[in-house]
Amino acid sequence: MNPKRLLAITRAGIMESLQFRLGIFVTLFANLIYLVLVYYLWKAIYDSSGTDVVNGMTFTDTMIYLILATALFNFLEMFVVWDMSRKIQSGALVLDLLKPMRFRKYTFWSYTGNHVVQFVLTFIPTFIVVMIVTGGAIPLGLNIVWFIIATVFALIINYNIEMLVAPICLFTESTWGINIVKETIVLLLSGATIPLAFFPEKARMVVQYLPFRAVYDIPLSILLGKSGSDTWQGLLQLFALQIVWMVVLTLAGNLFWNCAVRKVTVNGG
Amino acid sequence: MQKRGLIFYARMYRKILVQDLKSKMSYRADFVISTFGMIMTNLSGFVTFLILFRNFPTINGWDYYHMLFLYGFSLVALTPVQCFFDNNWNLRFMVQSGDFIKYCFRPVNVFFYFISEVFDVKGLGQLAFGIGTIVYAWVHIGIPVTPLVIVKLIVYLLTASLFMIALMNFAAATCFWIKGSGYVMVIMFRFKDFAKYPASIFSGIFKVIFTFIIPIAFIAYYPSLVILQPGNVPPLSWISPLFGIVFVYLSYKFWMLGVRKYDFTGS
Repeated sequence: MNPKRLLAITRAGIMESLQFRLGIFVTLFANLIYLVLVYYLWKAIYDSSGTDVVNGMTFTDTMIYLILATALFNFLEMFVVWDMSRKIQSGALVLDLLKPMRFRKYTFWSYTGNHVVQFVLTFIPTFIVVMIVTGGAIPLGLNIVWFIIATVFALIINYNIEMLVAPICLFTESTWGINIVKETIVLLLSGATIPLAFFPEKARMVVQYLPFRAVYDIPLSILLGKSGSDTWQGLLQLFALQIVWMVVLTLAGNLFWNCAVRKVTVNGG
Repeated sequence: MQKRGLIFYARMYRKILVQDLKSKMSYRADFVISTFGMIMTNLSGFVTFLILFRNFPTINGWDYYHMLFLYGFSLVALTPVQCFFDNNWNLRFMVQSGDFIKYCFRPVNVFFYFISEVFDVKGLGQLAFGIGTIVYAWVHIGIPVTPLVIVKLIVYLLTASLFMIALMNFAAATCFWIKGSGYVMVIMFRFKDFAKYPASIFSGIFKVIFTFIIPIAFIAYYPSLVILQPGNVPPLSWISPLFGIVFVYLSYKFWMLGVRKYDFTGS
């Protein structure tokens, strides 16, 4: 596939997202309020605990972790499940299936524009605010490069999780339910609601190897230099986990989609 | 338009409700999965809570059972908005597509007709979960059970629920002015996650903001103090019912203002 064509889809996505500029500013503003809430909550928690470091996480670490997890969440959020169910109901899915491009590939690239816009307009400003508030607590070095690579992997894994879940709507006619189950599981097990470092030892042993962790925990750990990512060996382990899940989920998603697409019944809309 | 009595509206609500439930019954798989999803979100919230308390035994002087009470309180207080006001989530699609016009052509209150159209059954699961949590925490804290306390509990639970209703009305109504305002609702809905923590953690200007502008502190904290600290109830707790009614009234006015401003898409 010609990369130029793919980039054209990305550009269209960027222009589409920029139509909702106000929405982006609201997101950014809400992130800042969220930052304040997280700050007060965890400040109170750490103040009550009497120690500065809990499970290897200081107050600043926890705060940066949770805020950037929220920013990552805005950035990674895809409405594949919603879009697909709406397309099935209206029949527009057929038009996408007829396009001279694999459906999964087309869907992925049509979201990239939104990702680019969200990254530039919400993630980077949030990152800068966090840097200012914490007085530069995030180390700036090679870890930024690794973080960006890990985020791209996270994006692909997240997309594949979405694409594994979305076709279930074809069978159940339930969108809200499917989506909320997916979101709950991903947010909890990926460490976006509470850092994985706080999980009980045994639970962590299991969660550590699940794909959800690769979406939020691994990029953020790499950024903060936690989970052994400050050594080459530890870094490679984290990347290896991401790559394995990326391959497995892509294959599984492909298989499931090819199977599910045969079930599509579109009412003559 | 002539004024109609409460009885008229109550009877109509019942009729619309029955229709809604009938249409829901035709999607049984959806109902089962949605209920399961609701249980999952509550379980996940609970697991987060447990993990937090495993690492930190007290938060700002609040111990495990008091926090659990507050958590259950917030769950119950969030049930009415979930059950009765769920159609607010569809408002922006209706406004954008122009379908909203149908509500304006009926000889009944637009807000009433729109909101009554959907009753969300799965909210009841949350209610059960919340009541269970309150009872469990109640027993462990050892609050005496008297009729007066029960009445207070019910009154202040209703009070607490008013604030979330008002917030969601405000958030939903923004779609009359802003295109693609779904974000506002999602964000407001996420702020509710902080209702289950004692608002005493805030200080300075943010204490004012989270009490009077985005009243997160009223969704559980202030109303629950009436039960939790009967000897030392701050004045804000006592007057919270009044605040709640004012907030809901303002949100209703804001919503209706949006309706008046709404100019129909041609399609």
